[in-house]
Amino acid sequence: MTDFFRLVQNENMKIYRRLRTWIMFAILLALSILFGVLFYLGSSGTMQLTVWDAVDQLSFLYYLASIFAVVIAADSVASEFTWGTIKLLLIRPWTRTKVLASKLLSVWLFTIAISAGFLISNIAIAFLLFPNEASMLFPQGTSPFTSIMESLMYSYIDLLVIVVFSFMLSTVFRSSGLAIGLSMFILFAGNIFTMLFHPNRYEWAKYMLFVNMDLSKYKGGALGPAGMTMGFSVAILSAYVLLFLVISWLVFKKRDVAA
Amino acid sequence: MENQPVVRIQGVSKIIGGKKLIDSLTLDIPSGQVYGFLGPNGAGKTTTIRMIVGLMSITEGDILIQGSSIKHEFEEAIGHVGAIVENPEMYKFLSGYENLLHYARMSPGISKARIMEAVELVGMEHRIHDKVKTYSLGMRQRLGVAQAILHRPKLLVLDEPTNGLDPQGIRELRDYLRRLSREEGTTVFVSSHLLSEMELMCDTVAVIQQGRLIDVKELGHSGKADGPGGADQIQETVFEVNAPAAAQDLLVSLGFSSRAEENGVILSVNRTDAAQVNARLVNHGIAVYGIRPLTRSLEDQFLEMTGGGRID
Repeated sequence: MTDFFRLVQNENMKIYRRLRTWIMFAILLALSILFGVLFYLGSSGTMQLTVWDAVDQLSFLYYLASIFAVVIAADSVASEFTWGTIKLLLIRPWTRTKVLASKLLSVWLFTIAISAGFLISNIAIAFLLFPNEASMLFPQGTSPFTSIMESLMYSYIDLLVIVVFSFMLSTVFRSSGLAIGLSMFILFAGNIFTMLFHPNRYEWAKYMLFVNMDLSKYKGGALGPAGMTMGFSVAILSAYVLLFLVISWLVFKKRDVAA
Repeated sequence: MENQPVVRIQGVSKIIGGKKLIDSLTLDIPSGQVYGFLGPNGAGKTTTIRMIVGLMSITEGDILIQGSSIKHEFEEAIGHVGAIVENPEMYKFLSGYENLLHYARMSPGISKARIMEAVELVGMEHRIHDKVKTYSLGMRQRLGVAQAILHRPKLLVLDEPTNGLDPQGIRELRDYLRRLSREEGTTVFVSSHLLSEMELMCDTVAVIQQGRLIDVKELGHSGKADGPGGADQIQETVFEVNAPAAAQDLLVSLGFSSRAEENGVILSVNRTDAAQVNARLVNHGIAVYGIRPLTRSLEDQFLEMTGGGRID
């Protein structure tokens, strides 16, 4: 098992030794600082933002973290094919299943790294710029931190699903461009699809991926459209993720590496 | 063990889209040799090599490496193999050393010292910490050799390794392969369509065409470039002379069965006789411009076997 982590170490090296990865972190940090400063300049008098309000406001930038994670996932398998390095990677004493697993694991570690980096930098910026007082936006008696973490958790699950989708496309089409493009489409067009095919109108629509991706609608124990529940959505999402992974695995395992 | 073939290709076929790319190919690659794999473009060389290293699936038959099936015991079988499949593609954003480290992590028991040993063997110690994107093709090729030999494989598989290399690079590669085969007993399986290269490099060549094995030839020079033939070996020899007809008459009168050509005469003699024939010719006032053995190059033989290398 220790040996398997050397494979993950390799995949991590291929992610973090690229300048691109650090530019992603830098952009995220720069935007957090920029918007932190803008909020600071814009808040005054009665609308004074406090630390946790600021963290909450900044969390809209998490979209960007999703995009970056999608890019990393889309590149993981596809770039090995583009570079031709796949030929040298697959002739080592490791089965394809293990090679694919190491890639998936390294991508997952990246989603954690970028989410943690995002959260920590936002909290740091908020504490630097805003007063640590009772919040205006959060109702009395609730913990702002818990509430923010809950929202972030829903966003993170959203991110994970789209990352696995991107990873699958990357494996199936061996083209990072296609994988990035389609994943972005799902990421942004999901709401439109949900509007067009609303579960209230079409019974089958509640089994669609898009409709289930945003778990924040169940916050506070609320029910979704057409009687959907948190448990239902989690089950549907799990089924989709499992399906994506099985497709990736089958395709990667069977593929003839030519050209 | 010494005589057990390193690779046993057993009745292997590869069918893609109803087309038989490889047709029940059976071939044993003996241990310790530099074994050439020759064929015109599209004959199935690359397909076969990709099946040997497990990059392509095998439709029928099986391939054993050191007795392990590449189909069913992949990890065991591939552990004996080092390979460069076409151009050695490396991670350009990593240094040469990091590339080697990457592959070293994937095989058991490769120390940092062993990595540096491989680096030194290919003469890359001065540039190994530079990024691969700054390397020339020749340097990438050297790095490719280094990654292939890191784990001291029993079998080194090279697919068209000289593609895109300059003459010096080709020469260096040839020297590495010879040295590996001699000093470490590595079996080298190398494919190419460059016949003169193969002639210089290989102990044995297998020729395939349209996915079928058509011949296996031992070149038997074991690396020496002086070619076949001792003092007593009778060889077809060309004497370039100014008057072929006169020379022909003279030689026939002396009891040789020679034949006249445009620029000279050809007859089968050993070296001692060749010198005498030369003396006779000169004594009879025939000017001799050159004497050389008439060897058919591998290229001639190859073209003969493959019918001029047509693809149909």
